[in-house]
Amino acid sequence: MNVQMENHEGVLVARVEGRVDSSNSQDFERQLQGAIGDEVKAVVMDLGQLAYISSAGLRVVLLIAKTLGQRNVSISLCALSDPVQSVFEISGFNRIIQIYDTQADALAAAG
Amino acid sequence: MSASLQLRVTNRIEELPAVAEAVEALGAEEGWSQDTTYAVVLGLEEVATNVVRHGGGEPGGSEIEIEVTSSDDEVRVEVRDGGKAFDPFHEAPEPDLDAAVQDREIGGLGVHFVKVLMDETSYSREGGRNHVTMVKRRS
Repeated sequence: MNVQMENHEGVLVARVEGRVDSSNSQDFERQLQGAIGDEVKAVVMDLGQLAYISSAGLRVVLLIAKTLGQRNVSISLCALSDPVQSVFEISGFNRIIQIYDTQADALAAAG
Repeated sequence: MSASLQLRVTNRIEELPAVAEAVEALGAEEGWSQDTTYAVVLGLEEVATNVVRHGGGEPGGSEIEIEVTSSDDEVRVEVRDGGKAFDPFHEAPEPDLDAAVQDREIGGLGVHFVKVLMDETSYSREGGRNHVTMVKRRS
């Protein structure tokens, strides 16, 4: 698992690559929490290179969404592969977190 | 044609990535679809993680036995452990899939994934050990 952070005019884009499972989800959470500073206007998680995520990883996405929600900062996801999209659908998270096809769509909505 | 994989790991989370790798290698050899591979690897991770986190006992102090059997029409996954008796399919809490972000409980999703992604699930307690069986029909 690797997370690349990029700042697009106050919108934090977190590009997640590889696998997020029960063995590295705490590290995943630390990296995301550490990158979300007070000045962040919105967060976009680009999951285009995410090959695998289990409930341990979804738990982190939910925690981050809750933290940001309390600060009125929006979060969205983009570029999910088919299997990753199904996991988000089965969890019902697709009904509580915005999912876009591309990073450009997510940034346009977040801007 | 059928092929199988037997693994014994201790009850530590750090053991699980190697299990996923071995199962993916079996899937590649046996020509599983992407959906089948994802379901089998996820099901196994969720069940084994539950055993490690809630089975009790010292981390590294007990063994989890895993058997994955691949045949032409299905993949059968069996997990046995000596932790405390726990039927994940009937005793785990059901997540509220309709709750808003702030009301959504953290956790409870793993067993839900297994129930949705696998075609058959069963649990039994045999000789003081838990025995979970999951079957994924190949797509």
